[in-house]
Amino acid sequence: MPDWREIVSKGLSGLKLGAGEKEEVHAELAAHLEESYEVFCKEGLPEKEAVHRTFEQVADWQDLRREIFIAKRSGHPMQKRVQQLWTPGFLTMALSMIFLVTLQGLGFQARVVSWNGPRTTLLNLPWLLSLPFFGALGAYLSSRAGGSRRTVLLASTFPALALTGAFLSMFPIGFAMERIIGRRVGFSIVATTLLRDGIGWLLVPGAALLAGGVLVNLLFSGRTSSQSTAVG
Amino acid sequence: MIGAGIKRGTAELAILSVLEEGPLHGYEMARRIEEQTKGALRFTLAALYPMLYRMEQRGWIRGAWETSPSGRRKRCYRLTPAGKKKLSPLRKEWAELFGALKRLTKAAHA
Repeated sequence: MPDWREIVSKGLSGLKLGAGEKEEVHAELAAHLEESYEVFCKEGLPEKEAVHRTFEQVADWQDLRREIFIAKRSGHPMQKRVQQLWTPGFLTMALSMIFLVTLQGLGFQARVVSWNGPRTTLLNLPWLLSLPFFGALGAYLSSRAGGSRRTVLLASTFPALALTGAFLSMFPIGFAMERIIGRRVGFSIVATTLLRDGIGWLLVPGAALLAGGVLVNLLFSGRTSSQSTAVG
Repeated sequence: MIGAGIKRGTAELAILSVLEEGPLHGYEMARRIEEQTKGALRFTLAALYPMLYRMEQRGWIRGAWETSPSGRRKRCYRLTPAGKKKLSPLRKEWAELFGALKRLTKAAHA
């Protein structure tokens, strides 16, 4: 039997895709050709004829390479990004923030927790316990929109990443403003304080959100492999 | 009004329709389409995969590697909610096109 993987690799050599993506295309097309060849053999065709009929499926490898490249680079990247990342991410952030405000309104305030001797941080335990659910929701929505594993995890941890970005941006903004107005505003002091409390407001919540995201990822991959037996 | 992209829609409609019945890998999809259209529609590998990748990029279908009972790894495609949503207007466009052609041929014969 011909080495279909080798044939596809040669035929599509020069396909300008990422290594992983290219490998997937090669594997998929080789599997198709192999199955096609096996069916021709089962139908009673001599091996030579089966190979010939299988090869007939690709008249022009160069043309196929170009078509695959165009197809893989098509779509509406902006729309996809909105559906797979921004919408799930912002929804996760909005819901988790609304829940935090609600909890605080109900009297569940953040508590000072000491760690590593004199060091302390603020933690809101009921809120932290809810975050895996919000992270899972973001991951689910991203996954449903066809997001890759990386995008799914980014969407689930989006609130923590966005807050980290906002805190970090205070440094250059504060510095620039101080230069413009010619006096100290104290942005960097605020930002430093916020970063110091980052464990309670960024790292731990980020980990909790990520836990939910990872769980959804595992559940999805589990469901996929369990369906495989039915697909055959 | 029949859309301009209706020609390419034939293949898209065929793929979305067979995937509506359940997830399939590429070869099985091509076989199913050929069987169900009694050979009128045939997808070679070169025609099928660029179309599948394009539809995947648009978010209508989603492919995932799965292992069959025989241990062979295959990339199975399933409809996404966006793909399900796309199927209904595509069917309507095709019904309109066939209706229009039918009326046209009847008028030409009359």
